[in-house]
Amino acid sequence: MAMEDQSQEEVPENLKKQLALAVRSIQWSYAIFWSISSKQPGVLKWGDGYYNGDIKTRKTVQAEELNADQLGLQRSEQLRELYASLSAGETSPQAKRPSAALSPEDLTDTEWYYLVCMSFVFNVGQGLPGRTLAKNQTIWLCNAHRADTKVFSRSLLAKSASIQTIVCFPHLGGVVELGVTELVFEDHKLIQNIKTSFLEVPYPNVSKIPDPIPDNARNNNGLVYPQVNMPETSLNQLVEYPEVNIYSPNNSSNDFGAKQPNEELNMVEDIDGEACQMQSWQFMDDEISNCVNNSTNSSDCISQTCDNPEDIVPISNGKKVTDNGMHQAQESNQQKLNSSDLRGDDIHYQSVLSNLLKTSQQLILGPYFSNSNKESSFISWRKDKLWSSQIPQTGTPQRLLKKVLIEVARMHERCQHESGKYDGKRDGLPKPEIDEIDRNHVLSERKRREKINERFLILGSLVPSGGKVDKVSILDRTIERLRELEKRIEELESHRDVGMLESRTRSKPYDAIERTSDNYGTNKHGNSKKSLTNKRKACDMEEPGTDNGCSLLRDSSTDNVTVSVVDKDVLIEMRSPWRESLLLEVMEAISKLHLDSQTVRSSNTDGILSLTIKAQFKGSKTASTGSITQVLQKVIRRC
Amino acid sequence: MENSTQESNLRSEICVTYDSPYPIYAMAVTNAAASPHLRRIAVGSFIEEFNNRVDILSFDHDALSLKPTPSLSFDHPYPPTKLMFHPTPSASTSTATSAGNLLASSGDCLRLWELRDTSIEPISVFNNSKTSEFCAPLTSFDWNEVEPRRIGTSSIDTTCTIWDIEKGVVETQLIAHDKEVYDIAWGEAGVFASVSADGSVRIFDLRDKEHSTIIYESPQPDTPLLRLAWNKQDLRYMATILMDSNKIVILDIRSPTMPVAELERHQASVNAIAWAPQSCRHICSAGDDGQALLWELPTVAGPNGIDPISMYTAGAEINQLQWSAAQSDWISIAFANKLQLLKV
Repeated sequence: MAMEDQSQEEVPENLKKQLALAVRSIQWSYAIFWSISSKQPGVLKWGDGYYNGDIKTRKTVQAEELNADQLGLQRSEQLRELYASLSAGETSPQAKRPSAALSPEDLTDTEWYYLVCMSFVFNVGQGLPGRTLAKNQTIWLCNAHRADTKVFSRSLLAKSASIQTIVCFPHLGGVVELGVTELVFEDHKLIQNIKTSFLEVPYPNVSKIPDPIPDNARNNNGLVYPQVNMPETSLNQLVEYPEVNIYSPNNSSNDFGAKQPNEELNMVEDIDGEACQMQSWQFMDDEISNCVNNSTNSSDCISQTCDNPEDIVPISNGKKVTDNGMHQAQESNQQKLNSSDLRGDDIHYQSVLSNLLKTSQQLILGPYFSNSNKESSFISWRKDKLWSSQIPQTGTPQRLLKKVLIEVARMHERCQHESGKYDGKRDGLPKPEIDEIDRNHVLSERKRREKINERFLILGSLVPSGGKVDKVSILDRTIERLRELEKRIEELESHRDVGMLESRTRSKPYDAIERTSDNYGTNKHGNSKKSLTNKRKACDMEEPGTDNGCSLLRDSSTDNVTVSVVDKDVLIEMRSPWRESLLLEVMEAISKLHLDSQTVRSSNTDGILSLTIKAQFKGSKTASTGSITQVLQKVIRRC
Repeated sequence: MENSTQESNLRSEICVTYDSPYPIYAMAVTNAAASPHLRRIAVGSFIEEFNNRVDILSFDHDALSLKPTPSLSFDHPYPPTKLMFHPTPSASTSTATSAGNLLASSGDCLRLWELRDTSIEPISVFNNSKTSEFCAPLTSFDWNEVEPRRIGTSSIDTTCTIWDIEKGVVETQLIAHDKEVYDIAWGEAGVFASVSADGSVRIFDLRDKEHSTIIYESPQPDTPLLRLAWNKQDLRYMATILMDSNKIVILDIRSPTMPVAELERHQASVNAIAWAPQSCRHICSAGDDGQALLWELPTVAGPNGIDPISMYTAGAEINQLQWSAAQSDWISIAFANKLQLLKV
């Protein structure tokens, strides 16, 4: 296979693919190749890289079906592009940032880490890659995220990206760095495999060599040893296999898992010496730590750092919780600012970060609640300093709040009641004639109401209860009772006086007394009360002489009872000589006839009582005119 | 008293004060994104008379000053119990509201006012009474941020009324409690909660009006709950305050009846609470002790209870507290005749 064209970078283009293969074989998160800069000798800078970690968004619509490694390559390209565009923005802020396929908010923290790494440079001997190159030894760093910044300058970055293990080893005059978000313990075999399998002269053990290239001459046992003697060639050849995912056994949880068996099958079919091939795959299998299944769960597309409301993001650092990589980077940045021990790397890192952040979208950082922020109106709360209440607690607690909730409502109600007296249209606002209502008024008003309620209670206990205890019913029953009592008094008095009256004569005529009585109120009360509801005016009737009255009574010419009944209405007209309590007896008789008297008009002229009564039958019982007349005449004749 | 206020006054450059000619209670901060450097704050007076006023102040971020706008001021019958601006003014679609910024006030009934450049015009009065022109006085209301055409009001007649302000009709009226309802707060588009003199916090869902969920009842029966705040950043949490109590009760709606936390560091009764608009774990409270306390709710509380992280001492009982999303780094408090903006 022809060698690939060299890219303008100082690394062979195929190195990227090698890195890709390497990192994916072990399912680590990223691989970076640090190369010696041509412009600055003795300085390691970003050569190439491959990102294999979590991604946040998946551009789901793909024109052609890309498999995992193609996607991975594309992603890494996109990340590089993004970095380029961001740094382009940095150098020429006026120029509009060239659009990249990705934008900062699409990235996970690990991707951010990868991207920021692109900005790093190391002197030989400095930093992890630098030291690797200087010593020409592999360095395996566990717990990178907790490492001292002196040991590992990007430890804070790693922390935000949750990169826990980093391995660097020298290669091709540069340094290959591999990183993963899991804690993997030092395993030289792993490194060896990587080196031999993908990057360097392979071991004589043929089983370690995947040899997908069909046109390589192979002997039966599948040894490709002769062909790969030359590292360069082998590298090239290694890379020249069809672009299919060869890691089928490993990425079981991968979206493309379904594809894997097929491709593998294809692979196997294409290639002679399949036994060798299978063997090599199996060996690869064994090498892989099974637990490394974290970030390639592309089916879920879950970023490890996506915002979870359960998470405690310490607000004391003042972050907006919903932001991802940026804010944590900012945090690191801030912490770096505060640290007194600033190394050259740190400065570089800061400047890169700040530039990147400037060109990226505006962040809304939450307020800094920490008390070291001098700009706050608040001071830190101290428990030991017991603040005695500065405000003397007089009066009711929550005074204004209670007023708002209770008193304002009362004000409105009072205003509504008073305005209710006025007729006419209202526009919703009460008229301003309402007097000023101050606190004292409220209190006195309340007292008055309490007094009134008290009296109602007493009244209620005095009158026989009819069941209802509301104020209106109490008043009704009181009125009723009063009338009853008055009537009884009258009765009793009249019966007492009848005997005395008989001996006296009526002396003088007196003015006509016309009385009308209306049916009391509405019909809410029982009908039994109707008969008692006639108003009794203060009777200033003089005591008439009864002789005349009696004689007059016997005079039939003066007797006159006319009764007319229309349906339930009864009209009674009668004239008869007046006597004491005649009216009462008539009314009693009428009520005995189950009649409700609606109106009663009586006049007393010259000793003759003229009565006009309009009544209604209550209930279903009716009486004929004849019977009514009879009863009334009986009453009249009674002496 | 002198020492603490002096200490607070030392930072006068980051605390802006407005002296009102009368005592104030109701307060609202505009959400209009019109000009971030010029925020408007509506302030309602508390005079126990018929004639009350609502003033509109302008807060200049750069100059750190609060100035009243004389032309933007209107009369209100009796003190307004609450004031609130339209939650998303730019998103309003109705023609009536597209012109300017809407302000709602509650008192005898719900009223809408429109803030124009040089004047304030009353737009509508929402009165649900069928018998007369008067409705039961309102203790509070809340404007639904998700559905801005919905306003829920709470009243002393034990009901909560949900208004559709664009159509100007009542969407529904629920008998929420056994006693007067003192506060109401929206959670989602169709879910609200209310507190009452009967001492309970109840959640209502408009999709199921027959049932409500009691998520808390005051330990001493019939201790009224005066105020309610629903955490808009994390809808699981609510805060409420009791009558005559220095406690702030934090509730988790997923675990009813058991409060998640009781914040008890005020030295007098608490008057107002407000969740932080930009964080789901912070809450601010103010009380009769003249202190405004900032709390951070941890996941696990210590054995001695939760302490606030910072505090501010004003010169008098703080009656009102507002923390608006529009200016999340300023907390507004009202005490006596003053309105103060505190930088967080």
